[in-house]
Amino acid sequence: MLELAAIALVKVVILSFGLLTAAAYLVLLERRVAAWVQDRRGPNRVGIPLTSIRLFGLGQPLADGLKFIFKEEFTPSHVDRWMYTLAPISILATALAVFAVIPFGDVLTLGGERTIELVVAPGFDAGAIYVFALSSLAVYGVILGGWASNNKYSLLGGLRSSAQLIAYELPLSLGLLGVVVVTGTLRLDEVIRTQANEGIWFAFAQPLGLIVFVIASFAEAARLPFDLPEAEQELVGGYHTEYSGIRLLMYLVAEFMHMITASFLIVILFLGGWHFWGLTDAAAWGIEGEAVPLWLGVVRIVVLMAKVFVVILFFMLTRWTWPRFRFDQLMNLAWKVMLPLGIANVVMMAVVAEFEVPLTDRLGRGGVIGLTWVGTLLTLIVAALLVPLHSDNRRRSIEPDLFGTS
Amino acid sequence: MRADDPAIRWIEEPKLGLSGKMYLPLIFQGLTTTARHLVGPKRTVSFPEQRPNIADPLIYRGVHRLNRDQEGRVKCVACFLCATACPAHCIDIVAAESPWPDREKYPEHFVIDELRCIFCGMCEEACPVDAIELTSLFDLTGRTREEMFFDKEKLLSVFDQTKDAEPPKSAGLPPLQRPEEEHHS
Amino acid sequence: MNAMQWTFVVATISGALALWMLLPRKRFRGRRLGSLLGLVSLGLFASQVPLPGGPAERTVFIVLAGVTLAAAVCTVTFRSPVYCAVWFGLTLLGVSGLFLFQGAQFLSVATVTVYAGAIVVMFLFVLMLSDPRGRTYYDRLSWEAMLSASAGAVMIGVLSMTLHRVFVPEAAPPAADANNVAVADASGASANAEATNVPALPEPPTSESLQANILAPEHVARLGGALFSRYLVTVEAAGVLLLVALVGATSIMAHARFEQLRRSRHGNG
Repeated sequence: MLELAAIALVKVVILSFGLLTAAAYLVLLERRVAAWVQDRRGPNRVGIPLTSIRLFGLGQPLADGLKFIFKEEFTPSHVDRWMYTLAPISILATALAVFAVIPFGDVLTLGGERTIELVVAPGFDAGAIYVFALSSLAVYGVILGGWASNNKYSLLGGLRSSAQLIAYELPLSLGLLGVVVVTGTLRLDEVIRTQANEGIWFAFAQPLGLIVFVIASFAEAARLPFDLPEAEQELVGGYHTEYSGIRLLMYLVAEFMHMITASFLIVILFLGGWHFWGLTDAAAWGIEGEAVPLWLGVVRIVVLMAKVFVVILFFMLTRWTWPRFRFDQLMNLAWKVMLPLGIANVVMMAVVAEFEVPLTDRLGRGGVIGLTWVGTLLTLIVAALLVPLHSDNRRRSIEPDLFGTS
Repeated sequence: MRADDPAIRWIEEPKLGLSGKMYLPLIFQGLTTTARHLVGPKRTVSFPEQRPNIADPLIYRGVHRLNRDQEGRVKCVACFLCATACPAHCIDIVAAESPWPDREKYPEHFVIDELRCIFCGMCEEACPVDAIELTSLFDLTGRTREEMFFDKEKLLSVFDQTKDAEPPKSAGLPPLQRPEEEHHS
Repeated sequence: MNAMQWTFVVATISGALALWMLLPRKRFRGRRLGSLLGLVSLGLFASQVPLPGGPAERTVFIVLAGVTLAAAVCTVTFRSPVYCAVWFGLTLLGVSGLFLFQGAQFLSVATVTVYAGAIVVMFLFVLMLSDPRGRTYYDRLSWEAMLSASAGAVMIGVLSMTLHRVFVPEAAPPAADANNVAVADASGASANAEATNVPALPEPPTSESLQANILAPEHVARLGGALFSRYLVTVEAAGVLLLVALVGATSIMAHARFEQLRRSRHGNG
């Protein structure tokens, strides 16, 4: 019991420090990627303090962090003091707590016999729903921050955010549901193991689920093109307009944490987690039995992290690729496109899961996957023809709008 | 204006094809553009090590200078046109009787507050004798506010510094031969 | 009445008084005295409730239960509706923690997702659009402070007394009585008072059973199995109910829109 707690504590400490550092360095990466996409170089000056060694700007996060910490922590007089303080704390706390059930590797074998599962709460059976529960709690930080700031831009940011997060939670969970139907478990490490055993990532087996899940997780992480809660051009800073100093830092770190969470989930659910053909298979290295040697465990961690990094890079590239949605487009996309697509995916996966044996006998494994791809394509075409994302919301007549569809 | 006003001309967007409606193909098209720029050549000038390449120094609006004429005297005739034209009110001139015969006044003091200046170039436009010009120097700075009040000597020294790279736009009017009758009137 | 029952009576009364004092009324609002009385009441209840397992588990339980109860009291006693909603959210978090503590993983996270994550957020969404400082006094007062406080306290007293009887064997009343309590407690739709084969009394959770429960594999699968076999009718009925509510809401909205259109077409007739 005590040993269990000690191991969990070590994991928590490593994970929190790792995540906070990762968030800090992702800020740097974000700035550099932004610069590169715009044909600039980005921050490359700050290196080791007190020397002139630059190290490609790797000292920048340290400088940024110090700046935030030593900045004046200004509390405007018109804010609701308690909520104003509580909001950033709650958002960072929930963002960190999500990682209790997210595996950051497979297992580490120490000293021959002892294996340590690389997840803070191993065997938590409702892991995936726990992730959703905590990410839905993240709305509190945004809403309360927006409300407590007592500022119309902050309030608008908070309102937008709550509507957006509630709307996109549905397609997000539908995307997850497809995976759950096939694997029959809510444990994220089990999901990875299923993919590793079959050697087929769910990105190939259920492409529609991947599309729905990725788009919904962009919206949940409030990344462009779904960053309406803090649209700089419209709302100054959205819900954190009135924040400064370390409280603002908390918001920014939490934002990056959401992105990291989303990347982890995409990798775990659809991109095979720590699995990579040949590289992480014990059989391919000629290892007998169940035991995973230490070095293979490390290789798996590295593979997982590399995948997460690539997905984060995708998040950042996306930011500079598409313009922001308008709010009605955002809602149309959620309810009229993403929700039906998600349901279609679940139905498709239910059929595959139910008739797996006869289908595989007739068509083979590849045939089943091909069938899902055909289904995906058909669904996308039908969705495109039925609900085009209209960009034109100009009001042509003075008649009252019957169902908000002019 | 009402939405159904006949004066409004509605412009329709181009219709999207199937791939446009499906959205995903366009998304990947956009991503390739972004990715191309991600690895493409950068345009940033790493400033202290690398001097920016100013395409045409003659039209660049950097620090001011006060031009000298062929005899090395300040060209300015203290007419105050630049101070009048200045939208930021950053030029301060004290005129005095000219010691030279070809003009009536010359600036005894000529101070530009470079911190107040917005580098619009109106002074250069206004000057009738092309005495004040904006150079392509952009990194002439100081550490105190007082240092950034550029006086006549400083502005003339800017001219000495830049006259070879950026010759004055005009040689200036030839030394004015004053008609004698003006003295009588 | 024995000492135990007297303790419950005193605890109930002091709890009612505490709640009454804490509720926002026009006069005599003794916050400090109320909080003190509330603590006393909590302590009295806690002294009689059978606590689980070893010291670590006890501490976790006491902290979770205390936070939940305090947040619940704050939910009804704060003036600002936004604060009430946030306290309610904290209450739900506490309840979810207690569920988790009992090994009900799915129920715990589902509580957070559905209640704290969706419903309270929806409340907040609406409350944010209202004036944060409602100035009218009747909006900021509790209307029936006396009635609500005493009703709530009596319910808590009765509940804890019955639960106490169920969980502490030596205080158990005659068997028939206990069975009725258990049936009422189980509150499953399938169970009713006339059922002859009442479910067995729940065992008081021990440390080992708790641990085994929490770490049990296929926890969610077993829950799903129970939901879709034994409680299938209930689940379906609840689903139909929600669907009806959804259709009703849509039709109300559509009706309002049509009315609006009609009025604008034919003047205000």
